Amino acid sequence: MKKLILVTAVLTSALFAQVNEKVEVPYVPFPVKMGKGFDAIQTHCLMCHSFGYIINQGRQSKKFWHGKVIKMVDHFKAPMDEQAIKETTEYLFEHYGNGKLK
Amino acid sequence: MERRDFFKKTAAIAGATALGSSTLEAATTQQPIDNRKVSPVAFPEKRPLIMYSDRPPLLETPRDVFTSALTPNDQFFVRWHMPDIPTHIDPETFTISVNGLVKKELNISLNDLKTKFEQVEVTAVLQCGGNSRSAFKPIAGGIQWGSGAMGCATWKGVRLKDILDQAGLQKDAVWIGFNGSEKAAYYETPNFIRELELSELDDHVILAYQMNGEDLPYLNGYPLRLVIPGYYSDSWVKMLSNITVTNKYKKLFFMDVAYRVPDNETESETPEKKFPKTKPIKKMNVKSVIGYPTRDSVVSHKSHVVIRGVAWDDGHGIQDVMVSTDGGKTWGKALLDDGKLGRYAYRAFRFAFKPNELGKTTIMTKAISKIGEEQPLSKDIKWNHGGYKYNGIDEVTVEVV
Ligand code: HEC
Repeated sequence: MKKLILVTAVLTSALFAQVNEKVEVPYVPFPVKMGKGFDAIQTHCLMCHSFGYIINQGRQSKKFWHGKVIKMVDHFKAPMDEQAIKETTEYLFEHYGNGKLK
Repeated sequence: MERRDFFKKTAAIAGATALGSSTLEAATTQQPIDNRKVSPVAFPEKRPLIMYSDRPPLLETPRDVFTSALTPNDQFFVRWHMPDIPTHIDPETFTISVNGLVKKELNISLNDLKTKFEQVEVTAVLQCGGNSRSAFKPIAGGIQWGSGAMGCATWKGVRLKDILDQAGLQKDAVWIGFNGSEKAAYYETPNFIRELELSELDDHVILAYQMNGEDLPYLNGYPLRLVIPGYYSDSWVKMLSNITVTNKYKKLFFMDVAYRVPDNETESETPEKKFPKTKPIKKMNVKSVIGYPTRDSVVSHKSHVVIRGVAWDDGHGIQDVMVSTDGGKTWGKALLDDGKLGRYAYRAFRFAFKPNELGKTTIMTKAISKIGEEQPLSKDIKWNHGGYKYNGIDEVTVEVV
């Protein structure tokens, strides 16, 4: 009986060991396009989430990207001034835009 | 949704159509994106899945997993809101606190939870309210999920009610706030907290520490998460650390802005004219997803194919799943599994199909619930700005060779 209990204990800790150590979430490099405004994106858009959030949106209008940047500022309190809003919006439209203003 | 409400809703939809659909023309709905590949990178305790983001981790289950009623833990979808998730939780020292308008504050260890309360199990579907969001055009706000932001598991834990009973609610208790351990990267960003009204919490709501017989995977909320059968997953707080009972509703971004739909009968609006009043998404609508074949399957002419998939709703239960193999011209009833996993679980279904024609064939599935709610065609789903609650008839087109 004693032996049995011991076996169970070992098994349990083996299962816990999956998380008992620090788990490591892998870093995934997303293909961020280089170019004008890249610095602004790096400073302002990668602080709270990966670039994956941005590229899964697909190509969108300038109005859409401006709206997203404003959403980040209004709802999530992204610390950005007018200049930063302008630079990031322009970068996003340039590289992830669909050519339409609206 | 109660039966009464359902009929009211159907009538309202019919009414809206009669008035003319011109106001809705700008927005359309189609089949969700279905061609994303699994990522080469596997996340902790997971097989490679479709990946949208590493920080916070956003992983979608590929379609071919949805052939059975239980979704394996290592293929179960992952969705966090905040990038800062504890990377280590010690099960020996972890406690869940219960405070606020209670007679006795509690700090319950994992071990006490497992030994001092009645242990219960429920099999229930966990689905993101934005599952299939990529179906909405123009693009609706949020991650552009395909149809795999969902899964079904057997959850084991303790009834929330038993815990609240032990703490003892004070007379004026109305709301319960649940906090997870995920944190925003920036101190001013609102954290992810849920508030539920006491009156909506029944015996089926549990604090679960186990999923399909194993500890919760880290990315699914280890060591403890809320399970609210029938409800969309935004309320199923992960890495639950604190429960606060209050008499006042706090204004919170993730309660007041996100995860809400227009508060009108069709829960819809137009991109130009958003509906001013909104309500929380709460309960799931009826839906089915095809697990086999997928767009990548090779289907042989005159072979015996078994179409498989899963169907579910908010707990009323699935009456039938109808299958069409000719693009919707004719429909036949699928065979459902025995339903032993209970009314909140997926019903796995299967349908025998012998492809007699070469070329492209479109398979469609439509679930019908026990209260007569049925899936609309995807093009008939009405737009909402958050892209929530898509439940269009599922479609897979295969090449018969
Ligand atoms: C202060 C934190 C913060 C910063 C800085 C930030 N975001 Fe976000 N962003 C968020 C949060 C929080 C969400 C919602 C997370 C969730 O629900 O998974 C989000 C979501 C998104 C989404 C998903 C779509 C949607 O509507 O929710 C996009 C796209 C996005 N952000 C783009 C950006 C861009 C572009 C920038 C830089 C201009 C940026 N973000 C900067 C916090 C931030």
